[in-house]
Amino acid sequence: MKAGASTMRRRIFCAMCLLAAVFVALFGRLFYLQVIDGGWLRSKAAEQWYRDLPLKAPRGKILDRNGKVLVDNRDVFTLYARPNAITDKQTAATVVSESLGMSYQTVFDKLGTSASEVTIKRKIDAKTAFSLREKEIDGLYYTLDTERNYPYGSGLAQILGFTNIDNVGQAGIESYYDKYLTGVDGFAYTSTDMAGREVEGATRYLPSIPGCSVTLSIDAEIQSFADSAVTAAATEFDAKSASMIVMDVNTGGVLAMAKSPSFDLNDPPRNDIDLLNSLSRNTMIVDMYEPGSTFKIFTTAAALEAGVVNDNDSFYCAGSRTVDGQRIRCWRSIGHGSQHLAEGVKNSCNCVFMDLAGRLGTNRFYDALERFGLGEKTGIDFSGESSGMLMNRDNVKPVDLARIGFGQAVAVTPLQLITGVCSVVNGGTLYKPYLVASVDGFDGVNVATRQPEPVRTTVSEATSRKMREYLKGVVESGGGSKAGVAGYAIGGKTGTAQKYSGGTIAHGKYISSFIGFAPADDPQYALLMIVDEPQGYMYYGSLVAAPYAGRVFQKIFDYTALPPVATDKKYVDMPDVIGMPAKDAVAALESLGLYVEIAGEGESAIGQVPAPSTRIAEGDSVLVRTV
Amino acid sequence: MKRKIRPENIRTSADNSLGKSDIPMTAAVIALVAFGVLMVYSAGSYTASRIYGNEFYYVIKQLTGAGLGLAAMFLFSRIDYHVLYKLRYVILAVSLVLLAIVFIPGVGITNYGARRWINLPFFTIQASEISKFGFIVFAAGYIGSRADKITTFKGILPIIAVGGAICLLIILEPNMSVTICMAMLMIVMLFLGGARIKHLLFIILPLVAAAVVLILVEPYRFARLMAFVDPWSSPLEEGYQLIQSYYGLGAGGLFGVGLFNSRQKYLFLPFAESDFIFSVIGEELGLFGCAVVMCVYVFIIRRALKTAQCASDRFGSLLCSGIAAIIAIQVMVNIAVVTGSIPPTGLPLPFISSGSSGLIVFMSSIGVINSVARRSHRSSALAFVKPSRIGRKTAAVKPKPEKRRKSRSRVRRV
Repeated sequence: MKAGASTMRRRIFCAMCLLAAVFVALFGRLFYLQVIDGGWLRSKAAEQWYRDLPLKAPRGKILDRNGKVLVDNRDVFTLYARPNAITDKQTAATVVSESLGMSYQTVFDKLGTSASEVTIKRKIDAKTAFSLREKEIDGLYYTLDTERNYPYGSGLAQILGFTNIDNVGQAGIESYYDKYLTGVDGFAYTSTDMAGREVEGATRYLPSIPGCSVTLSIDAEIQSFADSAVTAAATEFDAKSASMIVMDVNTGGVLAMAKSPSFDLNDPPRNDIDLLNSLSRNTMIVDMYEPGSTFKIFTTAAALEAGVVNDNDSFYCAGSRTVDGQRIRCWRSIGHGSQHLAEGVKNSCNCVFMDLAGRLGTNRFYDALERFGLGEKTGIDFSGESSGMLMNRDNVKPVDLARIGFGQAVAVTPLQLITGVCSVVNGGTLYKPYLVASVDGFDGVNVATRQPEPVRTTVSEATSRKMREYLKGVVESGGGSKAGVAGYAIGGKTGTAQKYSGGTIAHGKYISSFIGFAPADDPQYALLMIVDEPQGYMYYGSLVAAPYAGRVFQKIFDYTALPPVATDKKYVDMPDVIGMPAKDAVAALESLGLYVEIAGEGESAIGQVPAPSTRIAEGDSVLVRTV
Repeated sequence: MKRKIRPENIRTSADNSLGKSDIPMTAAVIALVAFGVLMVYSAGSYTASRIYGNEFYYVIKQLTGAGLGLAAMFLFSRIDYHVLYKLRYVILAVSLVLLAIVFIPGVGITNYGARRWINLPFFTIQASEISKFGFIVFAAGYIGSRADKITTFKGILPIIAVGGAICLLIILEPNMSVTICMAMLMIVMLFLGGARIKHLLFIILPLVAAAVVLILVEPYRFARLMAFVDPWSSPLEEGYQLIQSYYGLGAGGLFGVGLFNSRQKYLFLPFAESDFIFSVIGEELGLFGCAVVMCVYVFIIRRALKTAQCASDRFGSLLCSGIAAIIAIQVMVNIAVVTGSIPPTGLPLPFISSGSSGLIVFMSSIGVINSVARRSHRSSALAFVKPSRIGRKTAAVKPKPEKRRKSRSRVRRV
């Protein structure tokens, strides 16, 4: 038997059919790859066809409330190399290393890598980059980058914060508002072969979108007043630090926030992390302290609001109170004698406030303190805020209650304090404090504008009015007199707190502070000045913090052209009290209408500030040293 | 009926041809070769300029191959294909020798880890390209002259022996893809020659069983082989080439990115000018271009098989169908590899891929088909009809001298 012709013909037909079937199947496969999967494959392929150099989006500016630039960018360049495209690597490395001040070997090694693209150096200033570019070395590419520029240098350093080398916010506003400040990077697409060599075809650009600009509630002028005040105070008293907050009483907007020592934002000490951390720490928001007498504002307001005291109530101070068998001393060991409430506030007599706290009782007092926002974060737009510290209500014994009454056994942040005090003097509205007032797109389109945000009502208008009067008295003829500005009504309260370390009082370590507001009858500006650990015998808030607060108020009045009100201030000559018994010295000075601070608990006066015969205003603060 | 084809019974002069060269097929082949030269330039110019500093490096070689191939095609169409029958053992011997020579150091060139090329003064030749056709000539001659034995198992053994020997030599190079093509060619030729299906299964099944055993013994082979199923799992190793091929095809879409506009040819796609040229065609000319090229192949294969059906003897018929088969096999395997339909192997696309020895051999084989066509009946309708009717009809169509008709009818009756 053999294969017939018909068999062969049938088999050729079979083979042809098989061939057709396979071709149809292959066509189907091609259709799937080229049409159905085509788009996806094309986009995947495009990833390898182009080398994309990022076009960095400029970061948004940070402006003060008047549009003054606090932070912007300066152009810098990044130098890339495509090692494959460099023919003479030795020459290129020589030229580049000399221009950029890098070592020859570093540059040469980079040019010798097998990577298709390598970054030689970043943040090259424009002048250097242009001069290097003129040398026209093949295979070197420059992309425009930006670097943050801080025209005010060390001003607002703890608030603005800084960025890392990639322009990502690391601290402060730069970090908190990073999302808005960061733009969208663009790209330059260059067609290359697999090894990264450029092939024909023009480079295409996808432009970047600059970040939004952020407008702060900060006023650059007021900020500069605050900056010079804290710098001068820290220097004068050789203090550990000095800081100041100025707040808009009727919105909660922060007008200035200054701290000394500071650092230059254009050149932060990145190599010393501990130093950088301590300098950039915004202690006014993230740290709490025992406020001392400034806290008495809350005690008084709470007592007035609760109706447990009125103007005519009389308090007697013999230099101490005994609560639950424990003797708690007034700051003035010789006592204040009998005094009305307004005098008690002016004298900052601890006994008065122990009594007020006792009359309120824990619950009513705590309710009031919580209304003032103590024990909770204010909610300011800043990272790391502390909520301060109130003892657990259930654990408060009468002795603790008495201490809290005059600002001990309680911790607040400076921001909490000034925010609460603003509500006391502005008619009773507690505002949520803020730093950023508005955010605008790079094209000027408004993204968001902040409206003042009332949180709650703390005291009635009547209580508020009464508090303004009392606090005005403190500056007119009490501990806050040094904060006074001739021709203007200012209210305020000083504070001198002893620092604790390890649960016991650290001798010689004080926090001197002054909180004030102006104009006293229609408050616009609130100001808190804190000097941490002033050295020497001058540690009273009235003598350390208040004078600087006064200078800043003066400058604010000049700057805002607030007209003065005529006053008829009397002046007296400072008598010589040295050698006199302390009690007599105080009596003599008080008879002249002066406010007397006493340093030490000695029997007789051995020193005085100011010197005898100095001409001073009636109601001014003077110091008598007994040790 | 029992008479065999013997050299003395076969016409050897050209003047007694009944038909003509297959002009449409020849035109299609020349068009495909010209298109190939263009595509080799497009796909290979960048690689050539990077490696050899001359963007025309591949295209010049390809043009040389095309010129030589054209001459060879004409020459083979003029030579009576029965000469091949006479020389079939010589041709087979030369094929085997060439395959063996590859292993002689200094003569064989090692490239990509395999010895495949023979170094000649002007160009290199790939021995396996020639051996495929050596096998076709041998197999066509054997089956054509032993039509009675082909249906027995014993009768197909010589073919298996020779095919197996060639496969063995090629796999030693090693060249897996050509080995598989050879094996497929062998089976197809036995099938077309009329071997029994059960006998074919006797060959195929052990091969499949052997493959299964090899896979079961060492599973990693299977995993490696199957990397083509999901090339994305190893985009930088096994899957790389296939992914690059996909990118080219995908980027081409329906109508392509335009001639010379391939982006994949910038070193992304390895062997863009040779084994993966179809991917570049897909990228530059799209699905549309691919379809046209595939249609041209189908046309050429169809015409070759038609000539096979019209051939005036069994040898010529098998020669044509064998050539059609090897073209079809290579085209299918190449496109299947490029589209990731089968595991990747390196196999050129006939007439188009860069490679002059393959081009010359393929074009020569087209010449052989033309030689068969020139000596066949005019009409395919006459093919394989019963001998008694052939005698009448051919006589009616074109009267021939008695002696010649007699000799032809003898041949036809084989």
